[in-house]
Amino acid sequence: MMSGDFMALEQYGKLKYFEHIPAVPDNGMILTRLGYRKTKTVLDEDYKKKLKANIDMGLMLCNTKGVFSRLSIIKRDDESVELENGAVLKSKSLAKLLQNSMEVVLMAATVGKDIVDRIHDEVENNDAAFGLVLDAVASETADAALDWMVDFINKLIRREGKKLTGMRYSPGYGDLPLTNQKIIFDILDLGRLGLRITERFMLIPEKSVIAIAGVEGVESNG
Amino acid sequence: MDKKDLFQLLKENILILDGATGTELQKRGMPQGVCPEMWAIENPDVIVDTQKEYIQAGSNVVYTCTLGGSRIKLSEFGLGDRTVEINRKQALLSRQAVGENGLVAGDIGPMGQFVRPFGDLPFEDAVNIFKEQVKGLLEGGVDFFVIETMMDIQEARAALIAVKESCDLPVCVSMTYDQGGRTLTGTDPVTALMILQNLGADVVGCNCSTGPGDMIKIIRAMKPYAKVPLLAKPNAGLPKLVNGKTQFDMDVEEFGSYVKEFVEAGVNLLGGCCGTSPLYIEQIRKNISGLKPIAPMPKKICAVASARKTVFVDADEPVVVVGERINPSGKKMLQEELRQGMTSLIKQFAREQVENGASVLDVNVGMPGIDEKKTMLRVVEELSVMTDAPLCLDSSSPEVLEAALRVYPGRALINSISAERVKLEKLLPITAKYGAMFILLPLSDEGVPETSQERYEIVERVYNQAAGFGYTKNDFVVDGLVMTVSADQKAAIETLKVIDWCSNAFGCGTIVGLSNVSFGMPERKWINSAFLAMAIGRGLTMAIMNPSGDTLMNIKMASDVLKIKDKNSKKYIEYFAGQKEQKPAAHQKEETVSTVDRIYGAVVKGDRESVVQYIDIALKEGAEPSHIVDKYLIPAITHVGDLYDKKEYFLPQLIQSAETMKTAFGIIEPLLTKDADGDGKKKVRVVLATVKGDIHDIGKNIVGLMLRNYGFEVYDLGKDVAAGEIISKAKETKASIIGLSALMTTTMLEMKEVVDLAKKEGLDAKIMIGGAVVNAEYAKEIGADGYSEDAYAAVKLAGKLSQI
Repeated sequence: MMSGDFMALEQYGKLKYFEHIPAVPDNGMILTRLGYRKTKTVLDEDYKKKLKANIDMGLMLCNTKGVFSRLSIIKRDDESVELENGAVLKSKSLAKLLQNSMEVVLMAATVGKDIVDRIHDEVENNDAAFGLVLDAVASETADAALDWMVDFINKLIRREGKKLTGMRYSPGYGDLPLTNQKIIFDILDLGRLGLRITERFMLIPEKSVIAIAGVEGVESNG
Repeated sequence: MDKKDLFQLLKENILILDGATGTELQKRGMPQGVCPEMWAIENPDVIVDTQKEYIQAGSNVVYTCTLGGSRIKLSEFGLGDRTVEINRKQALLSRQAVGENGLVAGDIGPMGQFVRPFGDLPFEDAVNIFKEQVKGLLEGGVDFFVIETMMDIQEARAALIAVKESCDLPVCVSMTYDQGGRTLTGTDPVTALMILQNLGADVVGCNCSTGPGDMIKIIRAMKPYAKVPLLAKPNAGLPKLVNGKTQFDMDVEEFGSYVKEFVEAGVNLLGGCCGTSPLYIEQIRKNISGLKPIAPMPKKICAVASARKTVFVDADEPVVVVGERINPSGKKMLQEELRQGMTSLIKQFAREQVENGASVLDVNVGMPGIDEKKTMLRVVEELSVMTDAPLCLDSSSPEVLEAALRVYPGRALINSISAERVKLEKLLPITAKYGAMFILLPLSDEGVPETSQERYEIVERVYNQAAGFGYTKNDFVVDGLVMTVSADQKAAIETLKVIDWCSNAFGCGTIVGLSNVSFGMPERKWINSAFLAMAIGRGLTMAIMNPSGDTLMNIKMASDVLKIKDKNSKKYIEYFAGQKEQKPAAHQKEETVSTVDRIYGAVVKGDRESVVQYIDIALKEGAEPSHIVDKYLIPAITHVGDLYDKKEYFLPQLIQSAETMKTAFGIIEPLLTKDADGDGKKKVRVVLATVKGDIHDIGKNIVGLMLRNYGFEVYDLGKDVAAGEIISKAKETKASIIGLSALMTTTMLEMKEVVDLAKKEGLDAKIMIGGAVVNAEYAKEIGADGYSEDAYAAVKLAGKLSQI
């Protein structure tokens, strides 16, 4: 075994990749996103069967992956936090969220290209109603993937007596500008997940999400 | 130390392990943020003193200070190239500390990267990384290995294989379970035990994450199934962050008070993890005095496992269904997908079969024109993550099976091993190496024996050879080997005899591939079902079948009741009582519904196919096209709109009806111009676009669809469209309305550009906006004429704006 064989390992540093995230969204959330109201919307048995098959198809088409990284906060004030790699996140509300945190976790998840391509194909050329269901499944699965990662990271850091902040932020929320999407894209090297970012900071494929949470002590009321 | 010695030692004694090392080093001056492994080498007296203290306190074993000693972890400190050296030196230091007074266990911890299929580190890379660490520890002279604090079963497997392929020393594997009783990647203790003990771990256990109380439960859960001794190293209670430092909340006395219960639960090696110190080990020594270990005395277990679930095969439990559908034979679409390297149909089959009652999934990807090994590895990886069902790996190639067994994060079932030379000589040793269960096929190089007696002889022959590899009668199931009754009507009877013999005289489980029995017969399902019932009557424990057929599964469930495999008929009653009588959908009496009413109904129901037929019939019956539009189609879609407004319909239903309307209109519209009383109403023109810089367009496309269905003429410019282009198009088409979509805070500003440009150019058109980031206030702020929150609201707004 030559040490050269391990050169590629340099890339494995602070970034932790999940090749397959087994998150399945709550069915109710998918339906709610489609405008379903439990007490009002009426679906007959045939329709329910078809809807279930459509949702299952959507779940099959998702190739959910993710990545996260833990970075120390080295400087902070009321309006921004600076991370150990020099990146600065400017936002009053984010700084407030992170007030008890000594580190941040940056995370990203994507459901992959296949389902996004299929959604477009169905809506534009074929069965738009099916395309819509796939769209809801994809959006909810991306969110569920983030929930899963938060749960995973919480379990990982509980052994240190730490936990993630109850809330998580995404660029574009509150006063955290969307420009931060690019900062985090670079830190997490999201190209490795097959993602791109446009000039206007949109992630492609679309159903991809970035989030920030703080790492604080288990006793904190965060 | 060899495995026999360790086993002997553990028969008479409970081995006392050590406690936490990291915190002990910190107490003795190790600063935060350094590499513990390196620091300890630079301060050898400290680690030697610490470990001596543990020996003096009562530890029989110290772990080398190499928990973070893999190349990946050491690389975080730039020490990756010194992996072997660091591990060797630590082992030598531990030897110095214990001398003749204890054993040195080479400690291997998590690498800090997740292994495929879960993470992206290739399995073989993981094995090689661990092998490097093992090399150093071996050079340093460790007595045995302990792989600990493993959060993921696949990483644990990689480490275990690395040790086994490097030496013959005993190896312990300890996973870490959270308070929910599972590892981070979802493995429960019994499943981990099943996988690891069959893969060759000499001791299995748990450490870290929980205090003694919760850990005793884990030991207790594992003990009935453990063929090997059990290990536990609990934390000193639960961790809390105090002034930026992690501290634990359980004192030494309380910790010590759990020792007796641990031993009664079945632990054979006991130590402490985070938060413990030599004082805690002293308590273990005090409280363990006089207690005797409980040796492994496992129930007779026949089981397969995925990474997250164990499936037991038991004569007294319901027959285990192995889903057979993942097999390209006779399935053109699946063959095509496999050729293209896709797996969506496979995932669909997996999901459907599990939903229909399969507990295990047979996986066969053997077909010409593809790389079977590459495909099998891909499929195994995907299925390992997406389903909890253990896999039955099915291939005629030992090479394919070997590759799959190496990376499968579970205990697989192998289909199959027979008395054929290549199977006995090549496949059996491989299956044994990875500890898999196998299906024993009673045939040989001479072919399929016709009589049951010949088959018994083959079973005995294969069993004797397998026993040489450590297999017991619980580690395989015999395939009755059913041939088709259409060729030989005695075929089923011979198979039933084999099942009977295995269940009673020989004493092992059995399996059949049902479909074979009826090959060539008409109405195959009756023969398959009858055969299944008969086979279960003779003691069948597993069946390879298609669970999607009601008849077969119902017969299986009924047979489980009759053979008292389904205790108190619980599962049967639950299943069938739970099925409501399917009321047939209320059909209006055929004679009273007119064709045009059916057209209305089809639009409301969103039945695109039927509406075409009904319109055809209605036109043939002499209905006027404009009459159909005005009296049936438009009222139908209006009614759908009402239902949507009331939330009795949700969005997909609205769209489906709209699509049906579109289909209907597609047929009728050309006929309207021929109609002398044709409306000739001029359509309102709408230009639609997603603004510059934004490429979200699904919502906009739905709006376009709806507007068209409601009679608007829509010019959709697509996405990322500059203001200039939108205004040009609006001018060119004399559009009355411009609809803009944006979904990002950065692109919504473009909407103002369009509004301003429209004003500048003196354009009359009304501008409406939509998208998740905008709202009515924003519309007002930028001078747009309105905002709509969804596609239907957009239709209504467009209607309103076009009246102005």
